[in-house]
Amino acid sequence: MNKLNSADKLKKISEIEKNKNQKFIKLVTLCSGTGCTASGCQAVLVALKKELKKEKLSQKVKVRTTGCHGFCEQGPLMVIEPGNIFYCHIRPQDVPEIVLQTLVKGKTIDRLFYTDPATGNKITSERNIPFYKAQDRVLLSQNKLVDPTDINDYIAIGGYSALIKVLSSIKPEAVIEEIRKSGLRGRGGAGFPTGKKWEYCLRATGSPKYVICNADEGDPGAYMDRSVLEGNPHAVIEGMLIGAYAIGAERGYIYVRNEYPLAVQHSKIAVKQARELGLLGKNILGTKFAFDIKIARGGGAFICGESSALMASLEGKVGEPRPKDIHTTEKGFMGYPTNLNNVETWANVPSIINKGASWFAKKGTEHSKGTKIFALTGKVRNTGLVEVPMGISLREIIFGIGGGPSDGKKIKAVQTGGPSGGCLPEKMFDLPVDFEALTEAGSMMGSGSMVVMDEATCMVDMAKYFLKFLIDESCGKCVPCRVGLSRMQEIINDITEGRGTQDKLNLLKETSETVTLASLCALGKTAPNPVLSTIKYFYSEYEAHIKEKRCPAGVCRELIHYSILKDKCTGCMACLKGCPHTAIVKEGRICKILDDKCHKCGICKEVCKFSAVKLS
Amino acid sequence: MNKTMQQGKTRLNRLLKNRQGTSCELIEVLQDVQEEYNYLPEEVLRVVSDRLTVPLIEVFRVANFYKAFTLKPRGRHLLTVCLGTACHVRGAPKFLDEVLGQLKVVPGETTEDGEFTVETVNCLGACALGPVVVLDGKYYDHMTTQKLRVLIQQTRSKPSQSKKK
Amino acid sequence: MLEYVTLTIDGAGVRAARGSSVLDAALDYGICIPHLCHMRGITPFGVCRLCIVELIKDGRSKVTTSCTLEVEEGMVIQAHTEKILKARKNIAEMLVAEAPNSRAIQDIAVKCGVKNVRYPFRRKDCVLCGRCVRVCSEIWQSKSLGFVGRGNHRHVSLPFDKRPEFCKRCNYCIDVCLMTIPPCPGPMKKGNEALCALCESQLSMSEKIQDSCVDCRLGEGFGCVRKDRSLIRV
Repeated sequence: MNKLNSADKLKKISEIEKNKNQKFIKLVTLCSGTGCTASGCQAVLVALKKELKKEKLSQKVKVRTTGCHGFCEQGPLMVIEPGNIFYCHIRPQDVPEIVLQTLVKGKTIDRLFYTDPATGNKITSERNIPFYKAQDRVLLSQNKLVDPTDINDYIAIGGYSALIKVLSSIKPEAVIEEIRKSGLRGRGGAGFPTGKKWEYCLRATGSPKYVICNADEGDPGAYMDRSVLEGNPHAVIEGMLIGAYAIGAERGYIYVRNEYPLAVQHSKIAVKQARELGLLGKNILGTKFAFDIKIARGGGAFICGESSALMASLEGKVGEPRPKDIHTTEKGFMGYPTNLNNVETWANVPSIINKGASWFAKKGTEHSKGTKIFALTGKVRNTGLVEVPMGISLREIIFGIGGGPSDGKKIKAVQTGGPSGGCLPEKMFDLPVDFEALTEAGSMMGSGSMVVMDEATCMVDMAKYFLKFLIDESCGKCVPCRVGLSRMQEIINDITEGRGTQDKLNLLKETSETVTLASLCALGKTAPNPVLSTIKYFYSEYEAHIKEKRCPAGVCRELIHYSILKDKCTGCMACLKGCPHTAIVKEGRICKILDDKCHKCGICKEVCKFSAVKLS
Repeated sequence: MNKTMQQGKTRLNRLLKNRQGTSCELIEVLQDVQEEYNYLPEEVLRVVSDRLTVPLIEVFRVANFYKAFTLKPRGRHLLTVCLGTACHVRGAPKFLDEVLGQLKVVPGETTEDGEFTVETVNCLGACALGPVVVLDGKYYDHMTTQKLRVLIQQTRSKPSQSKKK
Repeated sequence: MLEYVTLTIDGAGVRAARGSSVLDAALDYGICIPHLCHMRGITPFGVCRLCIVELIKDGRSKVTTSCTLEVEEGMVIQAHTEKILKARKNIAEMLVAEAPNSRAIQDIAVKCGVKNVRYPFRRKDCVLCGRCVRVCSEIWQSKSLGFVGRGNHRHVSLPFDKRPEFCKRCNYCIDVCLMTIPPCPGPMKKGNEALCALCESQLSMSEKIQDSCVDCRLGEGFGCVRKDRSLIRV
């Protein structure tokens, strides 16, 4: 491939691509993100290619495999153009019919359409799906249009034009000013103004300077970064190029979590292709600007999402955070000025340069501008990735886009911000999604995970869950986090196992305050949030556990009891066979649970078809 | 130098071939070693410490810190259960019970017959499809305890495919 | 040529050499800030978090460890505000509950005003202060010791649990360990978790009476078995 030494050459590639696509009469876009791959889209792809070859349509129908579209619950899914036809829950055996009926004859297949759970109607085209319609898919919509393993797709939709604009006509300081004016704040969780960070790094002395993309998305329930990096890696690369130019950096890293093999693979391919075209390396687009990116894989440690721990990991060391008395923008990776930003932050940069700071600043609230991608999961009907303008209410997201409860139970709470965030009760769902509003309420925006919980979720158990997660992932260096969190866990275990007292609850609160104040890094400082927010908003559940030794949601194992109802049991022994701890025996015609062997896992209740297992 | 040590050094040489030999590369090198040997053998780590000029205690620290590394050999099948928030809310703890009951191991351990190593991960990023389980690199979505039981049984009865030694 | 800066700690004007830490500056002036992992001559670690202070800047206060904070001209430090004292006391309480038989930790706890220990006692023989690791690496340049493991599995270890050939057997690691200051000879018997009453608190003002109990309030919280004021010989 010839290296591009001018902007014209880039435009030429875009034209060639468009011409190439003219000869196709149909375009089939198949989502191949990690989610749909888990649902089986690869088998659908194989079947599709086979069928097209059989019908001699391979030259007439273009198949594009893309990254995550965000509507994961409906996968495997495809969109057919022209016509914007949307099919979901596709199995390989549906493929011949799709090819014959829809691609050849132009007829649609009813059973493959999406059914709107609110109305029961079938929705025929993608743009009419309420889940998508209610969003503002500035970034996510790009995923559908590009094959992440083909740089030409990205160029065809205007990719790298922001880079050209910057290199040819904007000075570094002016780039930073534009980013500052847009109001873009870090999308990784802390929400630090991006323009300000770039400015600090520009002013720092020392060379070489580095830019880093933090793709160590460790918050459970968050996969926004995965989808952007898997599905549109070039947007991130272009963002980093612009940032590097503005700050004066020559080298960059994309640090990807070990648990995201597809994101690692696609980033590597993207960097390689960009390098081949001369968009990375020396004399980019014929200018004096030189910049290159290396992909680094994490080793499996949540703490490496913290910027100083990430840099330690890049240096080949253990991921232990260091005190931030001196910022990483001054002394970061290897002691050099380093600018670290999140995947989504970088991916927003090209659009801001192309469409202008005021375009970005028009959306959102006064202090939280632009759109944000959230991973909406849990007990809600429509789970997946949603991109919305800041300022939209939680209620609109959960009930509007999310479609309300999935299990028919009442929605009780939403957890935002991952383990550093907090649980907000339903009565606060009218809060706008905004950095300050969420923090004031006792939670935080975080990286974007939003887990919805219903009546069957025990909030004390959720606090226990997050504590366990943080204790697992704590580096263990400082006393408040290492010792404080484990003491908090002791108390929460007491509460969930029937040994709670009011004194212990007070001690839990006091310990939480110390951990928040005195911990070395943000993991420790925010660790008590789930505990403190659940105590604040769900105090009645704590009271029930402590005073009545009862778990209202029926979750905490020591406080619940499984038994078999004699009058409902038919003796089918499904429970007996399903029990992994051999705690069920047959007595006469019916089954009986042995209390001393029962682990309270609940599997028996799951498999019983006669509702004969009672949970009290 | 006996034959196995010689073979070991050749394999390691191959892994270290295109490397600059700087301490920054430690984690990448260990990732390659983990993939090649299915764990991090002590002897190999001593050589790595020497070649990359990283103090031995630092190599040992890194090997113990990251979840991707194991100092003991893994079983033939790696079963990872996702315990992320979304999967937890959808009942992931039940799977650990199923695993404990079926395989009699706790996460982090390998079964006695060396067949299964069970690990937990705190989020795989496939949250809309929870509960999720990964077996030998393949993702299984919307798991139920019944499906997991069947999956374990099926894997057990598969004929053994020799992994590269 | 040493350059000096002037800063304010708890309202007092303090003059310190550039490059020194706020903690060292305070200690040199007799301002008592409790500390555990700090040791002169090795790099500060900032992990015990006892020496936390509030750095007042632009009307905002930031909590940070004074051992890792370098002095700057005009810096304003508050080392004994209410919230700092409360946090320090809680941290000291946690440390005592982890290693109740360490005399150094008992002393710190007494200084911080700990009277009751509300957490169940654990009997750890290491609080991961990192003095041994740092002296081995920085003073003896041997690098035989290191912290291995994450979170609650973190412990001090030799590589592969074997003493390497380059260990100089200087025993300095043992010398600087706060746990090997002769701990309470009384054992913590299971079911009888309490101090043995044979402690020798450094608060003892009396030079004439050896091995005496100063009847510190900490003992009350421990359920210290010492009930009367009579002398106890070891």
